Amino acid sequence: MTDQAHPNRGRDFTGYRIGGGVAALLLVIALGWQIFEIIDGDAMTVPETQWQVSDAPEGDAGQMSATEVLIARTQLMDERFQAGPSPEAEALKFAIGPGPHLDERPLEDGGRNIAEDWLLADAETLEMVRPSERVVGTSSLPYPNAEIFERPGGRDWRLGMADTVTHLGAVIILGFSLLLAMMLALRGRVPIAKGRSGRTVKRFGFLERANHWMTATSFIVLGLTGIVIAYGDTLIRPFGADLLGALGNVATWGHALFFPPFALGVLIMILLWTWRNLPAKEDARWLAKAGGFFSDDGNNPPAKKFNAGQKLVFWSAALGGIAMILTGVTLMFPYFWADLEVMTWVMLVHAVLATVLIGIFIGHIYIGTVGMQGAIWAMWNGKVDRNWAEEHHEFWVKELHERGELKQGG
Amino acid sequence: MTRLKFLCDAERCIECNACATACKNEHEVPWGMVRRRVVTINDGGPDEKSIAVSCMHCTDAPCVAVCPTSTLYQTDLGVVLHDKDTCIGCGYCFYACPFGAPQFPEETLFGSRGKMDKCTYCAGGPEENGSEEEYSKYGRNRIAEGKLPICAEMCSTRALLAGDGEAIGEIFRERVIHRGYGSGAWGWKTAYYPEQET
Repeated sequence: MTDQAHPNRGRDFTGYRIGGGVAALLLVIALGWQIFEIIDGDAMTVPETQWQVSDAPEGDAGQMSATEVLIARTQLMDERFQAGPSPEAEALKFAIGPGPHLDERPLEDGGRNIAEDWLLADAETLEMVRPSERVVGTSSLPYPNAEIFERPGGRDWRLGMADTVTHLGAVIILGFSLLLAMMLALRGRVPIAKGRSGRTVKRFGFLERANHWMTATSFIVLGLTGIVIAYGDTLIRPFGADLLGALGNVATWGHALFFPPFALGVLIMILLWTWRNLPAKEDARWLAKAGGFFSDDGNNPPAKKFNAGQKLVFWSAALGGIAMILTGVTLMFPYFWADLEVMTWVMLVHAVLATVLIGIFIGHIYIGTVGMQGAIWAMWNGKVDRNWAEEHHEFWVKELHERGELKQGG
Repeated sequence: MTRLKFLCDAERCIECNACATACKNEHEVPWGMVRRRVVTINDGGPDEKSIAVSCMHCTDAPCVAVCPTSTLYQTDLGVVLHDKDTCIGCGYCFYACPFGAPQFPEETLFGSRGKMDKCTYCAGGPEENGSEEEYSKYGRNRIAEGKLPICAEMCSTRALLAGDGEAIGEIFRERVIHRGYGSGAWGWKTAYYPEQET
């Protein structure tokens, strides 16, 4: 037992605090970048390749020829009495056979100017275009959604997905991580104030732990594969488009593969823990004092087996897990109950919830490992230190005493 | 500078579906997918109209923006192409597409959907133009030969126009003036001028 005159203090975990500080610094940079991405307004699809007549010199001359070839060919679209087909008509250059071809080459720069030019319309053109509207008719072709001619909502979905949810999700994950890193740097770990007692209390049985780790592993794999899909363009594409394609493929299959153990784990978790996680009187007090998180005296608000913070994590896993499973299954069976428009919204909900849950469970992982001394053992070997249990779960220890389940010496 | 576009004259389209058929044949499009289809609006009514639709090769293309694996890309002629090697079949492009262009071999979850397929404006893919590999993945590359998409070039009523946007716009406008009526350029606002007020 540690000397009572010098109780453990969170600030004494210097190594942890330095690590937290470094992490916080990196996260500030990443967070600033993502916030900038939301507001910089550069989200526009720009051309990446250019067509040139093969063997033509690089630059304008080659591009001009490709333009001429295609405009000449377009004239053939005119009325037949003007454009043929007629044996007397002038033979087209580049029509068929060997000879010069048009080739695609990477477009180094200027793509954005080209794309912005395309958006400009003259008065004549604007007069002939119809307004944007959803148009659904019928089609004799037997393919799903073949009857939809136009759905301008696709562009809104793009705004939601590519421009908002992606960066907002990154802000949620990075922002939450930043809070935790700053916490670790400034406050240090939550210590066992009285130090380790050397005696333990059994907290979680084998089934509870096995199920926790099955769910946790699945969640982490689902999270990482999801991040490859959502953020691969930023995180992996710099290392090569082919690598991104290969990893993306692994990620899609991995995402589907780890769904069943996740769903099973959430289900078992709900069966095992729901009754101990129902709200109780002491929860309000616990929340009002933030669980005693910011004090080192070990005099935390009392709790039963699960305190209010743990209850919130449980309900995030239970309700969030169910929501993710429902939206995920909807996406796995297209058009089974949801039509295309509903599916697009389900996809957005799945993405937003995913980032929120990743944020919450980064917090859960933090407090279970580096954030709190002694917490990891609850799920690792199922036995926690007696002093830890008394400081965080006073009522639970009392309950065990009353039931006589607490032997001296542990 | 050319900007390639599609324009379907709804007053001329007779819903013969020859464009869809010719496209399937020209590109050996696999069973279960069509790159071009014909949609009939107000079928049986006095104002019935048929419109051939495929990928419109949008300006600020939403599919390119949402693709998580940078499979989709646009060329300086406006043509939106795809790379089957990196496609993971997630279906985001289909959610974002205003015209239902992306097609998948299977209607199942992502991964098992297979590689996305869509209209290439008869411009193949990232492989060497005119190569065997390009043909087997994307079909014929007519643009490399200086030709325009087969669907429009063989349209019997010349309802479907393809080529430089200004040139086909001019042909369409002259036609409308000549006959005295027209229902306008279907889909152009959504595809090409999303930010313009009309």
